[in-house]
Amino acid sequence: MAATKSQGRNFALFMAGLTAVCAGIAFSDSGIAKVVLLVGAVVLAISLWGLFKIKPLEGKTGGGAQPAVMKLIGVAVVLGGWLFVLLGLHLAAGVGARMVTSIVGFAVSIAGIFFVLVPAVNKNAIWKA
Amino acid sequence: MKIVRHTTWICALAILPMAGAAIVARADAGPSASAAELKSALAAAPTTSTLANGDPGGTITGTVNDVPVGDAKTGLTLGDVANQVGQNKIAVNFVWTLVTGFLVMFMQAGFAMVEAGLCRVKNANHTYMMNFFVYGCGLFAYWIIGFAIQMGGAAGNGNLGGLQSLNTEHLITLFGTHWGIFGECGMFLAGHTYDVGVMVIFLFEMVFMDTALTIVTGACAERWKFLAFAVSSVLMGAFTYPLYGNWAWGGGWLSQLGVNLGLGKGYCDFAGSGVVHAVGGITALAVAMIVGPRIGKYNRDGSSNAIIGHDISAVLIGCFILAFGWFGFNPGSTLGASAAGNLRIGSIAVNTMLAGCTGTFGAILYMWAMKGKPDASMSGNGLLAGLVAITAPSGFVSTMGAAIIGLVAGVLVCLSCAFVENYLKVDDPVGAISVHGTNGLWGVLSIGFFADGTSNYGGSWNGVTGSVTGLFYGDSSQLVAQIVGCATLVGFVFSFSFVLNWILDLIVGQRVSIETEVAGLDLPEMGQLGYPEFVFRPEPDYMQAAERMAVA
Repeated sequence: MAATKSQGRNFALFMAGLTAVCAGIAFSDSGIAKVVLLVGAVVLAISLWGLFKIKPLEGKTGGGAQPAVMKLIGVAVVLGGWLFVLLGLHLAAGVGARMVTSIVGFAVSIAGIFFVLVPAVNKNAIWKA
Repeated sequence: MKIVRHTTWICALAILPMAGAAIVARADAGPSASAAELKSALAAAPTTSTLANGDPGGTITGTVNDVPVGDAKTGLTLGDVANQVGQNKIAVNFVWTLVTGFLVMFMQAGFAMVEAGLCRVKNANHTYMMNFFVYGCGLFAYWIIGFAIQMGGAAGNGNLGGLQSLNTEHLITLFGTHWGIFGECGMFLAGHTYDVGVMVIFLFEMVFMDTALTIVTGACAERWKFLAFAVSSVLMGAFTYPLYGNWAWGGGWLSQLGVNLGLGKGYCDFAGSGVVHAVGGITALAVAMIVGPRIGKYNRDGSSNAIIGHDISAVLIGCFILAFGWFGFNPGSTLGASAAGNLRIGSIAVNTMLAGCTGTFGAILYMWAMKGKPDASMSGNGLLAGLVAITAPSGFVSTMGAAIIGLVAGVLVCLSCAFVENYLKVDDPVGAISVHGTNGLWGVLSIGFFADGTSNYGGSWNGVTGSVTGLFYGDSSQLVAQIVGCATLVGFVFSFSFVLNWILDLIVGQRVSIETEVAGLDLPEMGQLGYPEFVFRPEPDYMQAAERMAVA
């Protein structure tokens, strides 16, 4: 189906809603800002619902379904590596020890991408069909 | 002993009034002498009748007559001169920062040419349009919220007059230490941030942010739905980029690693190998993984096919435009040309040139020696890889260091492209993940090795006194700070981008339909062919021959 008027309208709504939400936060001192924030959030939700509704009309795509649980595990491993780095900075005192914990955490995050997330997104890749 | 002590006290008491008298005498003599000098300078200044005769040699234009007088009754004072000197410094820095920002903005044209040139002709309009519209999406998102998140707590830059209105950083306390998480003022550039200095830093930071956004469009070209691209770019300009930007440049926790934990001068990223390029490249990896490879990129056995771009001349001209714009990117990141060590701009510019040069050499020599041809698209990527890698260390390393960093980047981009394509099986039509992601990380790490400790931007960096110094010059703690920055890019930025775009995929759908992809995105998505007068042949013979001979 490609680009359509519905897409354009919902994207315009999305931008309007996001702007209103930001305006509500920026000028939160005034009373009207809270109303603007609320209206913006509603408009944002409507735009996303609209986009969700027209998604099935756009035809079959070239990508196969990606296993959600495996992807969640992958994201958890990647994030876990980073949190280990942060924890290591506080638990280890010396430069050498902090370097070791940082490298280990960095490696865990990389491994999470290469060995968990990549197999997850490639599991039902179009070229395997 | 008592006599000696008494004598000392008496002498000290006698010296004090004498010293005071001398200071008063100097203070009295100073203004009167300066006033006399000002008077004689005014008397010697060219009159309007002299100036009316013209000044072909430029020797009488710009004199004491041009210094604005604060109070007409008292005439020109030393205070007026001092104020003018201060304003001149800020004016020089404003003009420098703005002009370099304009150069960076022009890089959008280079990115558009490189990305479109590396795509097939049936997707040219769509690829150009993504590069065109990302400017608007990013700018708007950055204005309404992104800038506030990134720079809302970045007060204290003396080069641009202090930026004192950007004074609210949201802090959290962990293990008894305060860490900056995001800025809180500057949304819509309203209120106190309606300020001349803030406008300058907004423009400069905005064009940097847009560079990061346009990296993603290259990796996802030829199958990314325009709607999904637009929403994703708005969210990246509003949240992903500004968050990491705050942590590195806006007074956030990464920049505080030196002050809070004694790790070198904190996380250092002079012009954005990490903040701009690695954020863009790593987000590109996340989105490209979600979008999936193009139809025909991989065979059933997992082997890959080269899909040749339609215009190598556009690619190489685009690379040169980018290299030109990089002279805004790196030297401009001093945020000034006057005071606080900013004369190092010459060194930064030369480092930028050199790394681009050695990056090109690295890629050409690697491809020529290993694959038999000095591949043109990979040569362009080598130039860009060298430039990406030198972006973070450009302000801290010698020319020797810059040349090595660029050379490594040139080889690294070739290896990384092959790894991403053949091992990860992530389809990246332009090599954006390798050019910007891999080499962005290399650039960040290289500071930890090559920073030579000679830079001096006002005597300190990130609030830590001294010069940024890497492992090879004696400070191993700087390398730790850089590794933490890389771990944050891979651990946080990747996860954040992946989850955000995954949710978008569920709601909006990231990929175009099979029919659209096969037909080419120009007509279905844009309503117009990029080159309407070309006769389009889906599988021409010469293209198949080019695929057989392709080395990349």
